[in-house]
Amino acid sequence: MEEKYLICEDSLEGIFTGIYDAYALREGHEHVHLQVGEEENLRLFAAYVHIVPDPVKTDKVARTLKTRLGEHVYHSLCRAAASCYSDKGEAVYRTVVDALTAGSGRRVMENVRNPHVARCFELARYTANEAHYEIEFIRFQELAATNGAGGSVLFAKIGPKNNVVPFVMPHFADRLSIENFMVYDEKRKLFGVHPAGEEWYLVTTETDFLPEEAAWSAKEQEYQELFRAFHRTIAIKSRENRKLQRQMCAYRYQDYMVEFEQKR
Amino acid sequence: MELRIAPQMSVMEKLEILAEGAKYDVSCSSSGSSRANDGKGLGNTVAAGLCHSFAADGRCISLLKILFTNECIYDCKYCVNRRSNDVPRASFTPDEVCELTMEFYRRNYIEGLFLSSGILYSPNYTMELICETVHKLRTIHRFQGYVHIKAIPGADPLLIQKAGYLADRMSVNLEMATAEGLRAIAPNKHRKNILAPMRQIQNGITENKNEITLYRHAPHFCEAGQSTQMVIGALPESDFQIMSVAESLYEKFSLKRVYYSAFVNVNEDKDLPALSGGPPLLREHRLYQADWLLRFYDFKVEELLTAERPNFNMAIDPKADWAVRHLEQFPVEINRADYHTLLRIPGLGVKSARRIVAARRFGNLTFADLKKIGVVLKRALYFITCNGKMMYPTKLDEEYIVRNLVYQNQMGKGEKLPFLADGTSYRQLSLFEMGV
Repeated sequence: MEEKYLICEDSLEGIFTGIYDAYALREGHEHVHLQVGEEENLRLFAAYVHIVPDPVKTDKVARTLKTRLGEHVYHSLCRAAASCYSDKGEAVYRTVVDALTAGSGRRVMENVRNPHVARCFELARYTANEAHYEIEFIRFQELAATNGAGGSVLFAKIGPKNNVVPFVMPHFADRLSIENFMVYDEKRKLFGVHPAGEEWYLVTTETDFLPEEAAWSAKEQEYQELFRAFHRTIAIKSRENRKLQRQMCAYRYQDYMVEFEQKR
Repeated sequence: MELRIAPQMSVMEKLEILAEGAKYDVSCSSSGSSRANDGKGLGNTVAAGLCHSFAADGRCISLLKILFTNECIYDCKYCVNRRSNDVPRASFTPDEVCELTMEFYRRNYIEGLFLSSGILYSPNYTMELICETVHKLRTIHRFQGYVHIKAIPGADPLLIQKAGYLADRMSVNLEMATAEGLRAIAPNKHRKNILAPMRQIQNGITENKNEITLYRHAPHFCEAGQSTQMVIGALPESDFQIMSVAESLYEKFSLKRVYYSAFVNVNEDKDLPALSGGPPLLREHRLYQADWLLRFYDFKVEELLTAERPNFNMAIDPKADWAVRHLEQFPVEINRADYHTLLRIPGLGVKSARRIVAARRFGNLTFADLKKIGVVLKRALYFITCNGKMMYPTKLDEEYIVRNLVYQNQMGKGEKLPFLADGTSYRQLSLFEMGV
């Protein structure tokens, strides 16, 4: 039988719509594949179907996954779908098939014997780890409010490999509930926005957003310097170990952190 | 408040002096407490803890670790802030500490505050200052993040109790593994004074748990438990002595963590060893490995060390060392063995053991599956079978396995040590000198 490739958009909505349509084909799953982004090398004897993201289908898939597989598995699938690797579509799709059709159900993420599940697990773990690092290493800068109403806005810029902003925001929304803050993913031009005391939301922009030092509040420079001094002082000279430091906090995070002054 | 230092010192200068004084305290974890924000203040706590940065020595920075003051009436030989040292002295005011904590925390620099102190005038006076500071932080600034308070030995039990209701974690440093060692090195400290607050905090935590069972909203007392630290390599104590003390602290004082601090001779005191090869980092590393075996792998100290064999093998890790001396228990069949047996296999950790137990419900595992699960096969292969077969033919012989493990380490392909890597520390001690 001819192989069928469903081409979907690189987003949670795209992948979930793809899964919906794959099931809607009712052709079994053996010859159906999910591909995220553009087709690269076209295969002979394969049909390509372009999937249009559909919020209704996405909702249905999300609801089914949550009720049949539980929140835990659902979140793992979301994390895998936020990965930067393009084989994620196939991995997530095959994992769903393993859970719903092959019957591993709520325990699906433990079935590492299935290579697609193992891959999905790996992708989800990679995203989760990166989100965890960003939660630790994000540095907020205090910007002076420009509307004259007083108050301030905390702003953080990150450049993660995976799309982690949606997984980072809930943590800060709880911790900094009384603050206005924004997390900006400069690779995807994506904002997570949290107005004080309200729910957070995501915004995408077309233009680059770069607050200059001029936008800093009066005290910002001082606290950055204080933290740099603390960071320098707390290290024990006779134990210096730059390699260990780099291993624990990679250069790609250090680039966004105020205490690492020397830019490479 | 009357202080003996010049009041015009800037916060920057104070921070540098008082972080310098606090940095030899190892504890930096922010784990053990799980508290959501209530919408009225700043902060929450995360059960697993978070590290926010890493210093040039590769140690994590989780908390704003500072002394309240480095003025001290004591004269402990190992301490940089001892009375007889001529170092710049400074003291924070409670407001300065609060402001630093809040502003650092908002910017996500830190997970909370670690407040320790030199002894200003008396233990009670110092403990009161600490309590006042943290009370301000909790009430006026409504700080809901992590706070670690050092209990000052010899302070009034009432003050210790007050601190316990303000802090997530408290600690009292044991400093030396033996009472004689402590007497020799810290003439003003007494073992009894250290153990008394430790016992008080332990009892406080137990009582508080009972209270919370009855009254859901009762205030929490040291939710994240208590910890302590011991200095390693300042006195000729054996690993067996140190680990036995640690084990009894875990069992009898219900401590959450015991930290080991490789001795750094900051004072070059004549009574303390001059360590030409730098601090004993490898020994510290072995002690931490053994500590993990006690806490997460169900090992007992007597299994790892004995009075006749009182020190760890520096060439291979404590778990591998135990395994090669107990080859009668190996090889273990991965698809059959229970969780506790799996935990004892070198190359397997808590996570991989759990994943194995979960994954084998779906069918027998192969060596390829184990690799995906995260088992370190090059270390485990001597000790396991999959479906009755070993990975490849190997001898179940102590000398043979040790030789192979050590050879891997020498080639840089075996155990990952956190410091040998770039040769900054401990390169002086080659494996041949260790008698391998």
